[in-house]
Amino acid sequence: MTERSEPARILIANRGELAVRIARAARSLGMQSVLAASAADRDSLAAREADRVVVIGSAQARESYLNAPRILHAAIATGCTALHPGYGFLSERPALVELCSENGIAFVGPTADSMRRVGDKLSARALARAAGVPMTSGSEKVDDVAQAIEIAARIGYPVITKASAGGGGRGMVVARSEQELAASFEHASMVAREAFGDGTLYLERFVERARHLEVQLMGDGAGRVVHFGERDCSLQRRYQKMIEEAPAPILSAAARTRLHAAAVALLAGIAYRNAGTVEFLYDEDSEEFYFMEVNARLQVEHPVSELVTGTDLVRTQLLLATGQGTLPEQAAISVRGHAIEVRIIAEDPRRDFLPSPGRITRWRPPAGDGIRVDTGFTEGAVVPPYYDSMLAKLIVHGRDREQAIERLAGALAGFDIQGVATNIELLRFIVGNDDYRNNRVDTRWLERALLPAFRMQS
Amino acid sequence: MRFVRIVPEDSQVVNKPPSQDLDALIRIFENSTWREMHLIGEGIDLFLSKDPNARRPAQAAPAVPSGTYAAALPPGGPVAQPIAPAVIAPPTSGVPAPSVPANWVTVRAPCLGTFYSSPKPGAPAFVSLGQEVTADTEVCLVEVMKLFTSVRAGVSGTVQRMLVEDATLVEFDQPLFYIEPHD
Repeated sequence: MTERSEPARILIANRGELAVRIARAARSLGMQSVLAASAADRDSLAAREADRVVVIGSAQARESYLNAPRILHAAIATGCTALHPGYGFLSERPALVELCSENGIAFVGPTADSMRRVGDKLSARALARAAGVPMTSGSEKVDDVAQAIEIAARIGYPVITKASAGGGGRGMVVARSEQELAASFEHASMVAREAFGDGTLYLERFVERARHLEVQLMGDGAGRVVHFGERDCSLQRRYQKMIEEAPAPILSAAARTRLHAAAVALLAGIAYRNAGTVEFLYDEDSEEFYFMEVNARLQVEHPVSELVTGTDLVRTQLLLATGQGTLPEQAAISVRGHAIEVRIIAEDPRRDFLPSPGRITRWRPPAGDGIRVDTGFTEGAVVPPYYDSMLAKLIVHGRDREQAIERLAGALAGFDIQGVATNIELLRFIVGNDDYRNNRVDTRWLERALLPAFRMQS
Repeated sequence: MRFVRIVPEDSQVVNKPPSQDLDALIRIFENSTWREMHLIGEGIDLFLSKDPNARRPAQAAPAVPSGTYAAALPPGGPVAQPIAPAVIAPPTSGVPAPSVPANWVTVRAPCLGTFYSSPKPGAPAFVSLGQEVTADTEVCLVEVMKLFTSVRAGVSGTVQRMLVEDATLVEFDQPLFYIEPHD
């Protein structure tokens, strides 16, 4: 091939803020980018940032962002050498990875085999067990209610049902007694089948007061895996993260070291390639952590790890996938200060979080020391109703958690968006809350304590 | 060779030099030290450049600007080759619609793919300029990863414009043909 002097050209198979980031990262590395957009996004900020846009289908995701053949066709026809799947959409479909390799296009992510092995939750549990990662007492696949009750009696209540084929809270039900389990098992299986096409469930011991911790990792595909510290994503509503921070403020140094080592061991065991995350439940009372799942892609909340480690993870991903860079040494990665991300979403928390698509008539993002805004929108842009309604990620960095919170409070006070409803008022309320400031939270604190208080104050 | 643009003077792709001649010309250009070549003749306006950022010299805009898709000519003829890598070119979706009689109906691409004007290499095109079609007449194929979708006229009338070169990338909703409907 005489094309070695040609710059790498990246097909962006995604939209919104991450598509903007990928386009900018590519440009900063002397690479080119092609955005495979839906008709609804042909005038988006991402479309302006990319070197070229091809409209692959109509607004519906299955006609565009979920349509692997059209995305591949666009990649080949525009001479792309690599494909970045972003998060969501097709990012965790092994078939897309295979389609890329059949056509000589580098997939910016793990191999199809890795994706399958960590994507199925039961198979991932087996991997974690083999790597010596702590697990909650749990089960293999559960066939029916009778077996579920038998297993629950052995591991002890409360238990939680989980879907083997996917996460996001679908198929998850907490049962505190045999009666509750009997009443909810069939429904949980049906929900899982509807969401993932597979109703297989398993059971886990349920941790009452848990933190959601996760470790950001990157592998070279040859067995070396490094971590970029952990994140605490305990502020969730219906298993959807709302605020994420790094590092996790509650971890002791010893527990932190064990957490990182467990995550690295898991992914090194399958010679994991490119970016991935291992998620854990952390039991604050016992200081024990338990494996939850692996996300075989970049995550929405990756910027907090970027700010505390000073690493551009998207650039690192592109360099690794195109063979133009190598994985940094673990010793070269250190965590400085504290970072917090909040997700600004076009939804109305006063109307049961009803999505609020529409035209943004005013857009005044905050700026200043330690403040970063990742977004795919500008003033005058339309938030389309077809996709998730995240408007922006506001990320702040400070020398410690207190300074980060002060910067976050200031940035939220100055963030002015008109034309669509947003959750900014709720985020301001959370950041002003004593329990949040003093870090007395767990994965259900937002729904249990904060949201009722928010509704009261109106 | 970085860049080939074929700009028909008119959307009517008529009197085009045979593709072998074009191939020969392109080979001569590739092997030369010339940086650019601009050939204007009957039924053709061919601009070749080794600079990916080059633009065809300004002149009167062609009647149908959407005919200016970047197209890499595959060797041995322009038909039914695997999709050829194209250079980074400005998005085509922003091209303003050319002025045509208001009653003409636009046949658009159902999705992104490669446009084929005939059922197989060397075969006659599905439709030709001036041809009468019915709503069910197959006018072209759009191929996505070896899967071919036929596109039908959708209206009975006369084919008045053919806007896209054979074997080129088309985007979702891109105009392909103008049909003048029968009253």
